[in-house]
Amino acid sequence: MTNRKCANTTSIAQSGVLGLCQSATRVSRWVAVAAAILVANYSSAAPTNTPVAASAKTSTCYLDGMDEQLQCGKITVPENPKLADGKQIDIHFAILPAIKNTHPDEALLAISGGPGQSAIENAAGFNRMLTKVRQNRDILLIDQRGTGQSNLLSCDDENMSFLSINDSELDTVAMTEACLASIEADVTQYGSNNAVKDFEAVRQFLGYNKLHLYGISYGSRMAQLYMRHYPEALATVTLDGVVPMQQSLIAIGSSIERGLNVLWRDCQSNLECQQQFPDLVDKYNKVDQQLANAPISQQVRDPQTDELTEFLLTRSKFTGAIRMAMYMPNIRALIPHAIHQAANGNYQPILGIYALTADSTGIALGMHSTVVCGEDIHRITEQMRKDAKESYIAGSMLDGLVKTCEAWPIPAEDDSFGQPIDSDIPTLLLSGELDPATPPNWGAMAQEKLTKSKHLIAPYATHGVAYQSCGNDLIAQLVDQGSLKDINGECLQKDVRRSFYLNANTVETLPIVKNDTEIKTDTTAPAKTAEDKE
Amino acid sequence: MKMILTMVRKELIDAARDKRSVMAGLYYAIGTPLIMCGLFMVLIGQLSSPEDLNINIKNANNAPDLVRYLSNNGINHADDEQANKITLTISDDYATNMAKAKQAEVLLVADNSDEKLQKSIQRLERQLQAYGAEMGSIRLIARGINPSITQPIKINVQDQATADSKGGMILGLAIFTMMYSVFISGMNLAIDTSAGERERNSLALLLSHPMSTRQLVLGKIIAVTCFALLGLVLILLVSKVAYPFVPWQQIGFTVNISQDFMGLMLLIGIPVALMAATLQLYVSFMAKTFKEAQSYLTMVLFVPLALSMAASYNIAPDVLQWLPVSGQQQALMDFIKGREIPMMQLIVSSVATLIIAIALAVGLEKSLKSEKVVFGL
Repeated sequence: MTNRKCANTTSIAQSGVLGLCQSATRVSRWVAVAAAILVANYSSAAPTNTPVAASAKTSTCYLDGMDEQLQCGKITVPENPKLADGKQIDIHFAILPAIKNTHPDEALLAISGGPGQSAIENAAGFNRMLTKVRQNRDILLIDQRGTGQSNLLSCDDENMSFLSINDSELDTVAMTEACLASIEADVTQYGSNNAVKDFEAVRQFLGYNKLHLYGISYGSRMAQLYMRHYPEALATVTLDGVVPMQQSLIAIGSSIERGLNVLWRDCQSNLECQQQFPDLVDKYNKVDQQLANAPISQQVRDPQTDELTEFLLTRSKFTGAIRMAMYMPNIRALIPHAIHQAANGNYQPILGIYALTADSTGIALGMHSTVVCGEDIHRITEQMRKDAKESYIAGSMLDGLVKTCEAWPIPAEDDSFGQPIDSDIPTLLLSGELDPATPPNWGAMAQEKLTKSKHLIAPYATHGVAYQSCGNDLIAQLVDQGSLKDINGECLQKDVRRSFYLNANTVETLPIVKNDTEIKTDTTAPAKTAEDKE
Repeated sequence: MKMILTMVRKELIDAARDKRSVMAGLYYAIGTPLIMCGLFMVLIGQLSSPEDLNINIKNANNAPDLVRYLSNNGINHADDEQANKITLTISDDYATNMAKAKQAEVLLVADNSDEKLQKSIQRLERQLQAYGAEMGSIRLIARGINPSITQPIKINVQDQATADSKGGMILGLAIFTMMYSVFISGMNLAIDTSAGERERNSLALLLSHPMSTRQLVLGKIIAVTCFALLGLVLILLVSKVAYPFVPWQQIGFTVNISQDFMGLMLLIGIPVALMAATLQLYVSFMAKTFKEAQSYLTMVLFVPLALSMAASYNIAPDVLQWLPVSGQQQALMDFIKGREIPMMQLIVSSVATLIIAIALAVGLEKSLKSEKVVFGL
């Protein structure tokens, strides 16, 4: 129960994390920050396969977090499409069968983010979010090459203590080289364009006439490439937390700063938050500066095991924790309190948030590096370099990625890769106003040449609109009707924001303390509500 | 052989003349699936919680975040008669207690015996618990503790049910109605052609024709069997069309009357129909009057009904798998749930069914040689 909410948020963040974050930068920090946000939903999904006679193409299986029988299978493809006789790899997929299959020749393909997340491991989250679509159509999940069960390219380091490690002293280049040496695959073959070929091969193998696409975060890039290369196979497309083709993933750095500014604004405009934390930005900068000078070391109780241990709070751990918390609306509500406490010397809330985002891996780092180094690193613009100079987060991310890509050489995609998609497939674009990774103007950029498209902005959603609003109903509507005609974003305007935590316990108005006498327990109800004041 | 066919034709023409009794027999086959589907449609509508659940939230101002959370999950405040059936009152010291990490109280008032509300009440409770759990987790995070420690056990469930078997209960009921239609459809004809024929004094006339009693008995059995099977075919066709209209997917499964199933049901239905026909004719001939035949038959039919019912609700001991009617029903249910058909049991029960039919036919032939039976003395 406790983690139920975590479970929700996890899935958001997990499928959302536009990984690159620190990720590529330093392995552990990576593990620490970028990767799997939480506890509950993180799945060690190794499906247990039992053959079934029904269909030779798939066998029944169970996936983590779902108790029903599902269908799993795999196809074998050449690692390098140009060498059909060369090394072969397996691409695994899972089907969540439609409850009442009225369109057996269609399916919705849900594509994970990262880059580097497994779609199959996130099956439970997709299933919850796409319940309505699944009423009448199969949901297809494919572990993109290099992720999950499809020839995973991971770079997990051994037992680095994420609490005490000084992540600013790690040697990114050496770690990346070590990882590359440990991988046997031809890592140049794990980019997005090859992966789209695999997706199409799975579609043909399973015999679906048309696919509906849902791509979240980096998955939206995959969806756009699918539109570019196999438009005839698609009925509708939904891009959520959109990464436009024209945009290098590395531009995410400035989006994070934008996300922070939106957070400061939200707290300022909320009377309670503003009263409780009047100088939030100053406090943040104070802690940030303090950590920039030197990390803070403290004896703490391990958040998980309760063992006495050293917690070294570095600048990157602090900003990373805040950054990851911004993905999840309910954890985001705790940020002002956490910053306020940290400024007053209490690092427990930051430790809590950091531990939450640090204790599991969910992103295949090798595949992540291949994508970023082949498709994004050569598209760094002057603006990004300027942002990187001004912002610590953007700067350290850029630095880390450049170093990673030095040690992870991938031939760059040519200019045509970054052209906007020119298509008349009905396409729904969803952006969250509070998104700390892919801001709404990215969605507008992707829409440029989409002739039949709608871009809807959810004012209270972060990254992954469909998980946090009625966005998933809109997807079901689009899939059902095959057109955007009747879709309006009205329901997205519904106020679903979460109130900020005012202390370690509550989001509701704090009672007025009279001097230091005990608060009367039966005081008349606090007169004003957050709603009134906002 | 030719004689038997003539006899069958005569019986069928006779039956067709009495349109009301024909309809009465077939009415069941057509009506039952329709009524069942109608009932299920209403039931599903009532038992599932509406997508947008309106309840009456009192003192909403005391917990705006909670109210927004509920609203985000489709539970909204309204002030009409329907909404007032569930009220949620937020206590006045809610915010004060929250601030101190003391338990903040909300009061949920509703009638849990009202079937239409049960799902909605459960849903509201679930959402309240989820909200509380989320808050509990965040309180732990704010104290530097990983909330996952409060879930020491992670329960992984692997449900063996298949998509087909989830609808098994409903299909069990459907198979039961089909099985029963075999008995019901031919009943009127069976009475009419035996007790009825005798009352119209045409039985003696028939017997005076140059034909054997066996031919006469077989002719009547075949005519009644045809009717029983006609009923079965009808109910299968109507079911095939009607069941998909029920929104089963709302309760998480589908009910699909496949062609394979229809074929198997028809095949298994033939011996059952033969037995039903001979049984009904035998009992009707044993009765002295038309009226008496109706009463006896109703009583006798209780036996296959009970067998079939027991099998469909799975309250049956294993021995029922080997008995006529219940054995076949069990096999059909296994087939539809995607399990292996228990061939041995199916063969034994089908053969037993045929043996009973033959024994009754022989008995019928013998008894029709007695004047007592022919004239109903």
